Amino acid sequence: MTEILRISVPMTFWLAAFSAVYGLQGFICSRHWFEAEVEGLTVARMALVGAWLLVIAVQVAMLAMLRAERWASPEPTMRFVSVTLAVVALVAAVWSLVPVATTSICY
Amino acid sequence: MNALRRHRALSRIWASDPGFRGWFTTVNHNDVGRMFIVTSVFFFLVGGILAMLIRAQLATPRSAFVGPEIYNQIFTMHGTIMMFLFAIPLIEGVAIYLLPKLLGTRDLAYPRLTAFGYWCYVFGGSMLLFSLLVGIAPDSGWFLYPPLSSTLGQPGINSDFWLLGITFVEISAIAAAVEITVTVLRYRAPGMSLTRMPVLAWYLLVTVVMILTGFPPLILGSILLELERAFGMPFFQVEHGGDSLLWQHLFWLFGHPEVYIIFLPAAGVISTILPVMARTTLLGYGWVVAAAIALGVLSFGLWVHHMYVTGIPHMGVAFFSAASTLVAVPTAVQVFAWIGTLWKGQPQLRLPMLWILGFFVTFVIGGLTGVMVAIVPFDAQVHDTYFIVAHLHYVLVGGFVFPMMAALYYWLPHVTGRKRFFKLGEAAFWLIFLGFHVTFLALHWVGLLGMRRRIYTFDSGQGWELVNLISSIGGFVATIGFGLVLVDIIVNAVVATRGVRNPWGAGTLEWAMPTPPPAYTFASLPSVSERDPLLKEPRLGVGLAKGEGFLGDPSRGRRETLCVETASGRPAYLVTFPDNSALPFALSAVTGGIFLGMLLKAYWLIPLSILGIVALGVRWVWTTGADRDRGPMDVGRGVSLIPAEEAEDPPGWWGSVFLLLADATLFGSLLFGYAFLWTVAPNWPPPSYLAPDPVAAVLAAVGGLVAVAAFRLAARALEQGGSAIGWLILAALGAGAVGAAAISVMVARPDFTAHAYDATLWVIAGYVLLHAALAVLMALFLAARGWLGFLGPRRRGPVRVGQIWADYLLVVAAIGLGAAWLPGAFA
Repeated sequence: MTEILRISVPMTFWLAAFSAVYGLQGFICSRHWFEAEVEGLTVARMALVGAWLLVIAVQVAMLAMLRAERWASPEPTMRFVSVTLAVVALVAAVWSLVPVATTSICY
Repeated sequence: MNALRRHRALSRIWASDPGFRGWFTTVNHNDVGRMFIVTSVFFFLVGGILAMLIRAQLATPRSAFVGPEIYNQIFTMHGTIMMFLFAIPLIEGVAIYLLPKLLGTRDLAYPRLTAFGYWCYVFGGSMLLFSLLVGIAPDSGWFLYPPLSSTLGQPGINSDFWLLGITFVEISAIAAAVEITVTVLRYRAPGMSLTRMPVLAWYLLVTVVMILTGFPPLILGSILLELERAFGMPFFQVEHGGDSLLWQHLFWLFGHPEVYIIFLPAAGVISTILPVMARTTLLGYGWVVAAAIALGVLSFGLWVHHMYVTGIPHMGVAFFSAASTLVAVPTAVQVFAWIGTLWKGQPQLRLPMLWILGFFVTFVIGGLTGVMVAIVPFDAQVHDTYFIVAHLHYVLVGGFVFPMMAALYYWLPHVTGRKRFFKLGEAAFWLIFLGFHVTFLALHWVGLLGMRRRIYTFDSGQGWELVNLISSIGGFVATIGFGLVLVDIIVNAVVATRGVRNPWGAGTLEWAMPTPPPAYTFASLPSVSERDPLLKEPRLGVGLAKGEGFLGDPSRGRRETLCVETASGRPAYLVTFPDNSALPFALSAVTGGIFLGMLLKAYWLIPLSILGIVALGVRWVWTTGADRDRGPMDVGRGVSLIPAEEAEDPPGWWGSVFLLLADATLFGSLLFGYAFLWTVAPNWPPPSYLAPDPVAAVLAAVGGLVAVAAFRLAARALEQGGSAIGWLILAALGAGAVGAAAISVMVARPDFTAHAYDATLWVIAGYVLLHAALAVLMALFLAARGWLGFLGPRRRGPVRVGQIWADYLLVVAAIGLGAAWLPGAFA
């Protein structure tokens, strides 16, 4: 099962994080709790961008772990697959959540 | 023992019952796989006839062929049949038939579950077919959006057929998904590590995990909509706190992964057949495996791209637009791997290869229009037009039907044992390929001209007449092609000459056996050291027939195979399969009583059916296990292994883990629905919240913890040679206490029709109650088994199975009942 976890966790984390950030955006828009501004940025924007950066940081950490001898798969093909999927998850985290910094939040 | 005697002995052990009775009692994957495939092809023919009726109606403006009421049923049932009764069951059938052979094992993990799934599919599909024949079929489109499909838009029985029939069929999909997952992970030939698995097994593994996590949101949505229709629980009615958009979310949480659930096995077929046709091996095995997994997971992040025009804020649609463009990358990786494989090999243009080339052309066009509709402004223009209809047919026919035609001709010699003699297949290919492209290229065009989908007729003078006529002619040409395929298959299966064992020179294990395959599949199990064993050892099948592999000695007279360690493929334990049985048929028929009771509003049938299910379920598991320790047994080649019932992780434990994955996804979808209504539905918050009940909360917490602890103490008592009965009865009491706490929620809010909040509380409490009842049943069953000597120091596995269900109960009780009580505590 360890091998299955190595290949499934990074992408699964991306999916969970992607859904969570979408949920956070929905929550923000439904309650209008985050409209206050600090230094010209709304708290809503800061929360969303903060969540995005956190997701990227976790994906980077997982990629580093899967490349480290201690955590990497001993089997070369499984190691290749797990690291490739961690890279895909990182790229997906960066790309699919770009809108938190570039589009309007609730309109 | 020589090969012939071994063959006779194994055939006696594994054979299905003779005659008509064998249809209802067979649990053999060869039989059930073929039955799945034939039934799904039958539904394909029905769906195809409906498609022709659609094209006949739209061939000319103001056609008087059918009226709007019938037309709505025709297009709804066309989509429903093709998606739920053809595509998914065909995948299941192909997987059931092929997978054990590809993996070098004798059957799937749970043979009776295979048969149970088949009969659920037949009964559920029959319900829908009946509705079509008597003119009361679903008519709200294949995605059944409320309020069109709720009692507001469809007060008749039509939508109920869809909700109940499809849910019944989905039981079949979940059953197949659980057993295929466990089979791929544990039931392989010794030595077949994960990286030596045939690539199709990887694809199927990804697909079935997607079914386990993609189908539950739709099952939940169907349950909620049926509860609304039957009992007035207003989940989708705005004035009572519901929201019809919730259905769209739940449907597309399933619906978008569904596209990839259909495509990925087809891509696996391409990755298997194409290297054989090119007389080489697959280029970039690791890349292809990674691409399949990436595609599977990414597909779950796209569901809102079917909802761009529902008023979701820019940021929301931008998330899904970005994610939608991403899926093109792993898809392209696979396409490039296939092109590279062709490049490095020496391709032969045989019939399966012809279909693969047809796939390339068609699927790439469908993929590119997919990228176009992933872009929000373009999608807003073509949404609900025939452009979308054309796109989805390019993806589904190009990406699924064409590869399945390649599979049909590639594995036909395996199923029939015959060599194709009559060459109608090539003519059929060109008729279908050209007919398809004429039909659907034209529909892109008419869609861009503004023709809406689902309209039963149109006026002349809009520039649509000629295009529709051309499209209809193309459709009928393609249909003639499919008819020709049918004739070709029947003629070749019946009168063609006997073929050789491995006609394509393939390297995978399904060709290391006589064709058509014997009931036992492999006379002895191979030991695998290569990804393509037959390339290195072409005469492997002969050696296996001589009993040179594992389990070559049939003297124990049982249906035996091996379980291996997940990653390494080292032999782990010996599994004994059950014999032929009518239990799967009976259990699915009794399960059908619940759906029939709901459909006919004969609610008395439901508790009767539940009692029947419990009785048959107990009978089902009662026949497993052993009443004494057997210890390690010889499995051949100098290896001895313990039997499955003495393993720490018996097959039932693995099956429970993956069934709980689907179960947890359903629960997660329910919580998502609760949160969605809370944040988005207009008429929230509800007039009042459920007041927290401290007594019930303590009952749930203590009961859940006791159940969890008691199962563990029962396992420990067994390990130390003691009795587990007392602990198991205590576990049943603990689970019962959790159930009582769940009932208290229902009692506190008796009117579930007042507001979607109340209805949601009932469903959450009902979910917890169901799992408490399951845990009680398991604990009492195990206590009875322990009393009769079926548990022991080595035979603790069944208690570990009950233990994970008790653990799950504690988690869902804490989250579910917490979600019910906490808002009231903070209000």
